[in-house]
Amino acid sequence: MGRDGAAGLVCLAGSLVLLWATLHLSKAPLVPIGPAFYPRILLSVSAGLSVLLIASDFLRRRRPAAREARYRLVVLTFLIFGGYVFLLSPLGYRVSTFLFTLILQAVIEPPRGGKGWLRVLAVALAATAVTYYAFEIYLFVLLPRGWATGF
Amino acid sequence: MFSQLLTSLAEVAQLKFMIPLVIGTWTGLIGGAIPGVTITMTIILVLPFTFGLDPLQGLAAMTGVYVGGCAGGLVTAVLLGIPGTPAAIATTFDGFPMARKGEPGRAIWLGTWASFFGGLLGAIFLVGLTLPLARFALRFGPWEFFSLFIFALSMVAGLTEQSLLKGFISGTIGLAITVIGSDPIMGAPRLDFGSEFLSGGFQFLPVLIGVFAFAQIMTDLEKAGDGRRLEAQAAPDLSVSHPAVVWEILKRPFLLVWSTLVGILIGVLPAIGSSAANVMAYDQAKKISKHPEKFGTGIPEGVIAAESSNNANVAGSLVTIMAFGIPGDAVTAVMLGAMIIHGIQPGPLFITQQPRVSYGIFAAYILAHPVMMVLQWLSARFYLRIVTVPKAILFPVVLVLCVVGAFALNNTVDNVYALLIFGVLGYLMVKFGFPLAPLILGVILGDEIEKNLIRAIMTDPDPWLFLTRPISGVLLALSVGSIALALWQHRRTQARLAGVEPEAEADF
Amino acid sequence: MKRLAPALALLVAFAAVSLAQPAAAAYPDRPVKLIVPWAAGGDTDAIFRPFGIQIQKHLGATVVVANVTGASGTKGAREAKAAPPDGYTIYAMHDYIHLTYYTGVAGVKYSDFDPICSVSSTPAILTASPKTPWKSWQEFIADAKKRPGQITAAVTLGSTSHIFPALVERAAGIKFKYVSYEGLAPRMNALLGGHVDLGESNLTQKGKVQAGQLKFLAIATEKRSPEAPSVPTLKEVGLNIVYDVTRGLVVPKKTPGAVQAKLEAACKKAAAEPKFAADMALQGTEVRLLDRKGYAAYLKKTDDLSLNKTKELGLFKAPKN
Repeated sequence: MGRDGAAGLVCLAGSLVLLWATLHLSKAPLVPIGPAFYPRILLSVSAGLSVLLIASDFLRRRRPAAREARYRLVVLTFLIFGGYVFLLSPLGYRVSTFLFTLILQAVIEPPRGGKGWLRVLAVALAATAVTYYAFEIYLFVLLPRGWATGF
Repeated sequence: MFSQLLTSLAEVAQLKFMIPLVIGTWTGLIGGAIPGVTITMTIILVLPFTFGLDPLQGLAAMTGVYVGGCAGGLVTAVLLGIPGTPAAIATTFDGFPMARKGEPGRAIWLGTWASFFGGLLGAIFLVGLTLPLARFALRFGPWEFFSLFIFALSMVAGLTEQSLLKGFISGTIGLAITVIGSDPIMGAPRLDFGSEFLSGGFQFLPVLIGVFAFAQIMTDLEKAGDGRRLEAQAAPDLSVSHPAVVWEILKRPFLLVWSTLVGILIGVLPAIGSSAANVMAYDQAKKISKHPEKFGTGIPEGVIAAESSNNANVAGSLVTIMAFGIPGDAVTAVMLGAMIIHGIQPGPLFITQQPRVSYGIFAAYILAHPVMMVLQWLSARFYLRIVTVPKAILFPVVLVLCVVGAFALNNTVDNVYALLIFGVLGYLMVKFGFPLAPLILGVILGDEIEKNLIRAIMTDPDPWLFLTRPISGVLLALSVGSIALALWQHRRTQARLAGVEPEAEADF
Repeated sequence: MKRLAPALALLVAFAAVSLAQPAAAAYPDRPVKLIVPWAAGGDTDAIFRPFGIQIQKHLGATVVVANVTGASGTKGAREAKAAPPDGYTIYAMHDYIHLTYYTGVAGVKYSDFDPICSVSSTPAILTASPKTPWKSWQEFIADAKKRPGQITAAVTLGSTSHIFPALVERAAGIKFKYVSYEGLAPRMNALLGGHVDLGESNLTQKGKVQAGQLKFLAIATEKRSPEAPSVPTLKEVGLNIVYDVTRGLVVPKKTPGAVQAKLEAACKKAAAEPKFAADMALQGTEVRLLDRKGYAAYLKKTDDLSLNKTKELGLFKAPKN
């Protein structure tokens, strides 16, 4: 099975799971068609399209070769971003943003020597301070405060 | 009518009004350029500062934000491939490839000049056609809106060159995202699997930023790693021959006028707004083009269509608030609120009863365009810097801005989690060769499609009304036609490409 | 990485110091977040933005309006309920909260908060589309009696705009057909275009009535409004209905009493500002100040009414907790 077939299978599975979930929806009072009506139509359509995609993948003889790519950095970046997102609430905006900008810079391009590290630190600190002041103090967006740090 | 406009132009050209206008436009440019900070948010931030001003001064500032925001969004779209605002989604399709091919100056200025011409052309329509257009928009009941949204989706799903089927699947994924959360009628939780996070549903903006920012950044990061360094691009040359760029636009008068019209019409209709207008205009440009297969490779037509339509869209939404006091999108909702705070109640009599304010807004809208050009020209030096910043610094900072933007949208961390989820989804979709534009349009229109479907059925249970009401019927027929045309174009392109190994890289 | 750890720790400390604000003891020493659970530009937002400007003068701290939107206003309610009870998060509440609770939409109840004060009240007006033939209330009632269940009413299902026509329906012995239009703007749009016959609105729509684009049938106040003197009250036409939407400020439960008292005092002064009354007049709204006790009693009363109404309309669903 090719790339399209796999994608089609995932979409089909997703549609079917959501379709199954619509079975538990109770009818709404006053609305003649209820909250499940539109999702069922939509998800049936998407399930049908997924099946078509799987079928077309099987019928195709030639498959495009996947382009070579390195996924190490991609995966790492997603993980670091995920960590940032989940630490935002406990650590607060300032601490987590500083850590995130520091670590991600270092991972994308490992700093060389003391000077390199200094630049990474300076950028992380500046990015945090500037965004914090610009948004919280000047633009009145109250950024998350950490429940664990109170900061 | 036009003499009143001239009087207003002369009035607004005074320093007293020009200062707020310039500051507003400048704020809009910056806000628009930051991915995740929308024009809506920028205008909310400007709002409190306008309380102390004369109403017209305040509205001049806000009109400036609106116009400047559209221009700012295009800079990020062209240089980073991430739409700075939803109004610049389609600008990434051709603007970014053009910049990557070494012509960032051409791309930015094509977009800016297209915004300028589209905006001014829009202004002519704004002044001349406000009332008839708004009256036409009132005839849109739930049936018409439903059919219009279906038409929009059918057009955009056909955008992709690779596989029409994948375009449609992408659109249905977008629609399915809006189904999760609370149902739009009763607000009852649905398909949330008992999770409080899911029961709030997904806002459109985190989906948009997540999908585009990660798809772009991660694709760049694939090329690095294993000790390889990501080189910053060489300082690009933003200097460009302005007469040549202007000629590139003006020699396509039909494209310009058509995209402007699409922008205005979408703007006049409440509930859609600029996020859909630019994508629809782009699709129209591709449909009428003699070489649709070149769209997405960095051709001027794509940039012109997207940018002229989004500025014209501003004119269209202004029509709706001026004529009816009904906001066409979130930005005009805030402007409407500002007018009410200043004691101005827009409505059917507004233009005749308050000519000073209403024509003053027209005048501010027109004057904001040259102001925007000058500011864009002054900031060009700064844009140069953005591109030369090393990726190791640029990416973390852009991601932080995305997080702040998503958070600030409605002040909840839930949006930041959504950003991560849709970042992963967007990247995977690109990897599997799904176009992203239909997904985004699906998310924009999902709730509205369902609401209007239910409204129609609650008003009258007869399903045939969708076909027998004339406007609705025509729109549905156009949807079928649009799909047929896309199928035919697709077949033609495939035939032309036969024998050539299709590229594995995704287009978005 | 080992060598890096102490350096990192040092840097975090440095960042912490450089970014921290000076700590002070007395409330309020930092900006106060006012959660508005609806979008910017909506009617609730239009009331609390001018109010925020007034109250921050008397509170002595910046008040930041944060629109926490989503899930019919319940996302903001949940967020406010979960916020630390320190007075730095206040919640802009309106009568809708009882309804979302009793229709099973959200598990947040008014009693999850401590009331501070009520701020404003917006009287409801039964409004008709210009495409309808009625010239007066009497003609409307006669027609409604002739065609039960055929006159369409645009409402946000299960919200205040639904309860109001439902009260009229019950008192006048008529029957509407409800169509869901969420929010005032889409509702007015549908009325203007003649896609529905009726809906609830307020005095902000006066301009459209003067232009002949909408028709006010009757207002749900005790006495006729000086803003629209030709519109009869529901009491005049024989229906004993007074209905308005009251908005006020609440804080999460367990907020210290001293903080609540401080907020209440600031709220009272802010609501008394003539500028605020002028701003409210533009919103078709009256200033309605109730103190902590008065607002608590009011909330209790509307809660009972909401429970009855949702049961009557068949919308009641066991609240989830």
